[in-house]
Amino acid sequence: MRKQFLVLILLGSLGLVVGCGGGSSSSSSDPSVAANVLPIAVDGGPPANQANGAIYPNGAFASATICAPGSSSNCVTVDHLLVDTGSYGLRVLESAIPSLNLPAVNASNGSAAYDCVSFVDMSFLWGPVEAASVTLGGETASNVPIQVVSNSTANIPTSCSGNTLSEDQNTQSTLGANGILGVGLEPADCGFLCDPSAGGTPPSPAYYTCAKLPCLPAFVDVANQVTNPVVAFSSADNNGVIVELPAVSGGSAATVKGSLIFGIGTETNNQLSNSATVFTLLCDSFTTIFDNTPLGITDPKHCSGPASFIDSGSNGLFFPDVNNSIPMCPNSTPFGDLSEFYCPTSLQNLSATNEDPNTTSTTKKTNFSVNNALNLFTAAPTDAAFGTLTGLNPPGFGFDWGLPFFYGVHVYSAIDGQTVSTPMGLPSPPWWAY
Amino acid sequence: MKTLLESSKPFTAWLMVGIGWVALSCPALAALGGDVTSVEADRAHMKAESLEVKQATAYKVHAIQAPGGTIINEYVSPAGRVFAVAWHGPFIPEMPQILGSYFQQYSAAIQAKRPYGRRPLNIQQPGLVVQTGGHMRAYFGRAYLPEMLPAGLKADEIK
Repeated sequence: MRKQFLVLILLGSLGLVVGCGGGSSSSSSDPSVAANVLPIAVDGGPPANQANGAIYPNGAFASATICAPGSSSNCVTVDHLLVDTGSYGLRVLESAIPSLNLPAVNASNGSAAYDCVSFVDMSFLWGPVEAASVTLGGETASNVPIQVVSNSTANIPTSCSGNTLSEDQNTQSTLGANGILGVGLEPADCGFLCDPSAGGTPPSPAYYTCAKLPCLPAFVDVANQVTNPVVAFSSADNNGVIVELPAVSGGSAATVKGSLIFGIGTETNNQLSNSATVFTLLCDSFTTIFDNTPLGITDPKHCSGPASFIDSGSNGLFFPDVNNSIPMCPNSTPFGDLSEFYCPTSLQNLSATNEDPNTTSTTKKTNFSVNNALNLFTAAPTDAAFGTLTGLNPPGFGFDWGLPFFYGVHVYSAIDGQTVSTPMGLPSPPWWAY
Repeated sequence: MKTLLESSKPFTAWLMVGIGWVALSCPALAALGGDVTSVEADRAHMKAESLEVKQATAYKVHAIQAPGGTIINEYVSPAGRVFAVAWHGPFIPEMPQILGSYFQQYSAAIQAKRPYGRRPLNIQQPGLVVQTGGHMRAYFGRAYLPEMLPAGLKADEIK
């Protein structure tokens, strides 16, 4: 064991000498893995949920070590955080960090800030914004606002909960994970709209203060908003991420293991591939031409239109069936209501073309397959990765390239406001490349 | 949510005038299935701004914009009933306000057991369709009463 360890250290050092600038050494936790690499696994979710027969299909999960700011002993390592390139900021269940006492982060009015985040399936997360030191692989964001998802459902304002608490996903069993690691295109979850400089009434559901009840919408300075941990890394690997997952051969796989790489063009292991096409974006989206129908922003001023996007937090490919030819799955199956998934009678091989909305000559044809979701789950009820799991994004909406898009493709996501300088001549973020 | 009785004076005034100017309290009436006065109720409850009213042949669309920029389009039939609501923007609007008396049906539908995972919502039931999609800071959705769609308006045009 010791000899292997020494060999690995030597190899690690060699890497330092041969490689480009950046100067990161090996990960403090595993000397064989570079510091800017976070292992991810599509493994079906937390073991306790799987033991109850509930698999999380096409969820990529990772661990983070969360400490009180400035502490290296008051720490908890939380596993099964959903790796989500479609959201921004770390959100962790209070129940996953019961021993941690983190300092409150304040809204601009001086009271402790609470965050409410909605997701498109009408679920929500509610809880205080707190400061933490977050370590991902060998990278640390040393004092970054995160959202702690409250155990308690008391006093949640109705603009957050929608007058029902049934979709408050504040447990491992309702959320399907211990938290969400939002490493997408933006540095903060709300940005300018929730900053006091926006003026007027604070938007909702977003941030609140609860010094007096009921909790009321509040502005929070951008620096205090729940922050994409990547931009807060102390290293140069803070300008974006690369998701690397292997292809899923056949219909499904029990587990798929890959990596979330931090930084683009800053280390030997995160250089932009020659075969990747860079897509600049409009309203954090691009255009997908499918069935001769362009699905993209039509009114950039209001960001309206059937926008298309890449999102590792979506667990399938979701697109409008423009010709209305693909049947939906039934709403009553041994796996629950599957009526949002497609159930064609046989495998369909389709393709679409993604297009840069600002430079429409930049396009890339992308193949994908659509298979019967009920048959997939029935044939492999304990598998986690499904390359052909697809479903409906209703007509009039765009193309949602979820996790199946990532299998076998390196997907680069460059963060708004950061700089990617290698290779030269790249556009300013935000952009995607694959 | 306040009941009709609890809303007292402001509500009585609203009843008498027809087109509401709702003060601080938010009456239970809200958009979907409601009459056109519920559009103003929604606007006031959300502290939204009225944008415009677009006239099509068989319906009108009242557009309002909530703080933070989310635009909500309320489709009103010639008889003055709101038969569809669509939204797009950085924040998801309050579903009880948008769905009104249809909120219970929607709430029950989203509680149906589904596999884990984040994906667009597609509720298609007799009498109510609710569809949502997007991601953080870029949400969109629509809710409509299928039997009330005017001839010539396809569901995918509701946005």
